Amino acid sequence: MPMVPKRLKPYAMIAPALAVFSLFYLYPIGYMIHLSFHEWNFISPEKTYVGLGNYREMLADDVFLQVLRNSALYTVMTVLLATGTALPLALWLNRKSGFHAFVQGAIFSPHIISLVSVSLLWSWLMDPEYGLLNGLLHWFGIGPLKWLNDPGTALLSLVIVAVWKNLGYNTIVFIAGLQSIPPELLEAAALDRSKPWTTFRRIILPMLSPTLFFLVIINLIGSFQVFETIAIMTQGGPVHSTNTLVYYIYEYGFRYFKIGHASAAGVILLVIVGTLTLGYFRLLSRRVHYYG
Amino acid sequence: MARIDLIDVVKQFKGETVIPKLNLTIREGSFTVLVGPSGCGKTTTLRMIAGLERQTSGDILIDGACVNDVEPGKRDVAMVFQNYALYPNMTVRENIEFGLKNRGVPRRDRERLVRDICEIVDLTPYLDKKPQSLSGGQRQRVALARAMVKHPKVFILDEPLSNLDAKLRVHMRTELIELHRRLGATFVYVTHDQTEAMSMGDRIVVMHRGEIMQAAAPMELYDDPDNLFTARFIGTPPMNVLPMNLLPNLGTEGGGRAEYVGFRPEHARLLPGSADPPSDGLAIAGSIITRESLGAEHVYQLRTTAGTCFVKQFLRPYAGGDFATAVVPHDRLYFFDGEGRRLRNLRAASRPEPAAAGVR
Amino acid sequence: MAPSRADARPVFATGRGAGRPAAARFRAALDAALRIANIVCMLLLVCVFALPFAWMISTSLKTLPETMRFPPDWIPDRPVWSNYADAWNSGPFPKYFLNSLIVSSGILVLQFLTIIPAAYAFARFRFPGRGLLFGLVMATLMIPPQLIFLPVYLMLSDWKLLNTHFALILPFASSAFGIFLLRQSFLQTAGELIEAARLDNAPEWKIMIRIMAPLARPVLATFALFSFISHWNDYFWPLVMTTNESARTLPIGIAKIRETEGTATWNVLMAANVMLAVPVLLAFFAAQRHIIRAFVYSGIK
Repeated sequence: MPMVPKRLKPYAMIAPALAVFSLFYLYPIGYMIHLSFHEWNFISPEKTYVGLGNYREMLADDVFLQVLRNSALYTVMTVLLATGTALPLALWLNRKSGFHAFVQGAIFSPHIISLVSVSLLWSWLMDPEYGLLNGLLHWFGIGPLKWLNDPGTALLSLVIVAVWKNLGYNTIVFIAGLQSIPPELLEAAALDRSKPWTTFRRIILPMLSPTLFFLVIINLIGSFQVFETIAIMTQGGPVHSTNTLVYYIYEYGFRYFKIGHASAAGVILLVIVGTLTLGYFRLLSRRVHYYG
Repeated sequence: MARIDLIDVVKQFKGETVIPKLNLTIREGSFTVLVGPSGCGKTTTLRMIAGLERQTSGDILIDGACVNDVEPGKRDVAMVFQNYALYPNMTVRENIEFGLKNRGVPRRDRERLVRDICEIVDLTPYLDKKPQSLSGGQRQRVALARAMVKHPKVFILDEPLSNLDAKLRVHMRTELIELHRRLGATFVYVTHDQTEAMSMGDRIVVMHRGEIMQAAAPMELYDDPDNLFTARFIGTPPMNVLPMNLLPNLGTEGGGRAEYVGFRPEHARLLPGSADPPSDGLAIAGSIITRESLGAEHVYQLRTTAGTCFVKQFLRPYAGGDFATAVVPHDRLYFFDGEGRRLRNLRAASRPEPAAAGVR
Repeated sequence: MAPSRADARPVFATGRGAGRPAAARFRAALDAALRIANIVCMLLLVCVFALPFAWMISTSLKTLPETMRFPPDWIPDRPVWSNYADAWNSGPFPKYFLNSLIVSSGILVLQFLTIIPAAYAFARFRFPGRGLLFGLVMATLMIPPQLIFLPVYLMLSDWKLLNTHFALILPFASSAFGIFLLRQSFLQTAGELIEAARLDNAPEWKIMIRIMAPLARPVLATFALFSFISHWNDYFWPLVMTTNESARTLPIGIAKIRETEGTATWNVLMAANVMLAVPVLLAFFAAQRHIIRAFVYSGIK
């Protein structure tokens, strides 16, 4: 190791990491904000300054408004379903036995394979003519659904896929949270003649609230980033019913070559994700001192 | 207050038998201490009484009624946990009244009960604080208050003093004894510290590997131990136990073969190495390898041909140099057989030729 | 010692005590019935998650007409193993595999090289601006790839680095999350060990490599697992950064089958999918506990 003066040593040790972050995270953000005020089609070297023109154009664009609506709807549904179902599941599956470990592993497994696999698999499962889902419904006497091909059900179908992939992860995190509750507390509650619902409401839930907040925020931020499933399963359609922010940016950047426009959308995404994350950190710091 | 009976209680964990067969009666209104080394089963027994563990077989009766299938909350038992187990998101007041609330006690009565209890344990200024902002001693008092406010028949305490610093521990010991006297409930107390057990309990149950070694009043355990384990467990430093075959000038009469002989360090005294041994006592000569002076007490470790032993003297230290003879009166000797059982019918007698026990 | 409290379950039985054999028998039967119902429900839950995989494997062994039967059959008439060969031959898969390997490994190596010194510095030194710089690093956690892909694409395009491994590796050469985890671990290591080493005149780098890193080995292993699998599975970034085969990775290759063959050849597509997913699944069931721990603790900051 080269002789670095002692005072500078820590800076030298941080430098490589900082270089990567500055170059590939911080600078691009600045660049993107810069680009959002310009018009550029990527081919010609000319970038025209348009001020807030891109933003005004987007907010007047019906498609963009629908994109925002879709993103919000997708996020709310995914987060509610994936975390809301995970808590009761965690309470049910929280036991240390080989069989329970097997069940936990089974519901966690979709989380670990690539989104590509999941998307392809569910595209096939949801095939309107030959897919397994319609096959199962047929068995129950329910007529075939159009799943991804119908603007009314396409977004919901994507939500189902997201929940399938994330439910196991959320459940396992909840289980970890449940297991961090000291067993003596539950025993003391039993001795205090507490009924199961009371114990849940007044002891378990409060102690689980940091985990709950954490999961909600992680799921929220993750759902705004959805891209792979859309790209592989619906390409934003039919009729923009599954077009969400990241896909919109991708299309405008790589298909329509309207870089400025795409950057502006990127800035809006940044604002949304940034607000959510800041909110998370603020809540976390408050809650962390809660149980010291 | 209530009487507790454990009848033929067996406890197994995953095929391992932790408690082979326990029979124990805890008298009503007593302060019974379960004491023993780690893993002896005392905490398991406690939890079975509380209903937090279910025995593999056998019966547990509280006040004559079998509680095998009764929920912990309904056994009229209150417990103070080693780590207090206070509900972190509730205030002190809410912690204490939680049990009352679950029983449907109306608010006015609850408030009165909580207020009274807090005066007894001196917690009134902390009623609206959360456990995190309290000190260890304060948390412990909250745990006590939470247990007391339910006016249970049985009070269970699982090593409640082990997380406190030494001075506070001694103070709380007397507080708990006071409390027992005032409440009159049956106290079942678990500790691994024999000093604590001796000073607090009116009945002590010494446990080892899931079995009761001896259950008796403190002085009886001290004066008249049933077995080697109990003899060595009680007392600091523990009783000296030497093999009989290394003490040729000691004999027994009264029938039975003694493998070991024991005496308490405080019953021996040190004479200078050259002194004449008395006729009615055991004399062992040796060299002093350590001396501890604790103010009023002086503890010496003596290495002899029969083994190493401790002698405890009071007030005046031993002034005689490095060689000494420990002398123990015959009536202060305890005899044990090969299995560690106490042989009470034996008496000590000197052998005719006093062999010169040299220094090792 | 006393058995772990985690196994202890408070006795929630109802009833008034022993001595009523008929009532006791009924209760025992009810308990047994409830327990069986519980297990059945859990198995149903497992099916919700396992059936899609089973269907994936089943489809991969069918002929094309068989896939178009409705209602669908589970078991193909005769397993068509050639689907796998077709999938493998539909693109330069060995190359895709190699690229995935190079990218994931390269990322991991660079990450280790950057996060170990950085975490060590943040944990063990006091220097002006430490808080600010650490905050800056943590701020990048707020910036997912989906946010910055466009500007980074433009940058890399300017530098003519598109379609190279560099485009796929360099942006991930460090990890704020890794620095965070490792710093936590270093903070918890006894300061005395380091003092003793310093008294022994050990140079800083030696302390770092010989003492701290081995102690942080479990954390490093956890992080490595998470990083490798995440980047192996990544579809988005390689999709954006590559337009030809030269640096393309496995997930892109698999998805591409759908485009080249058209949407109808599900059997070949599923065969490809099996090849992509099954190795990860097998690894998962072999090291389930470790992998779960890696992913779960990756989030619990």
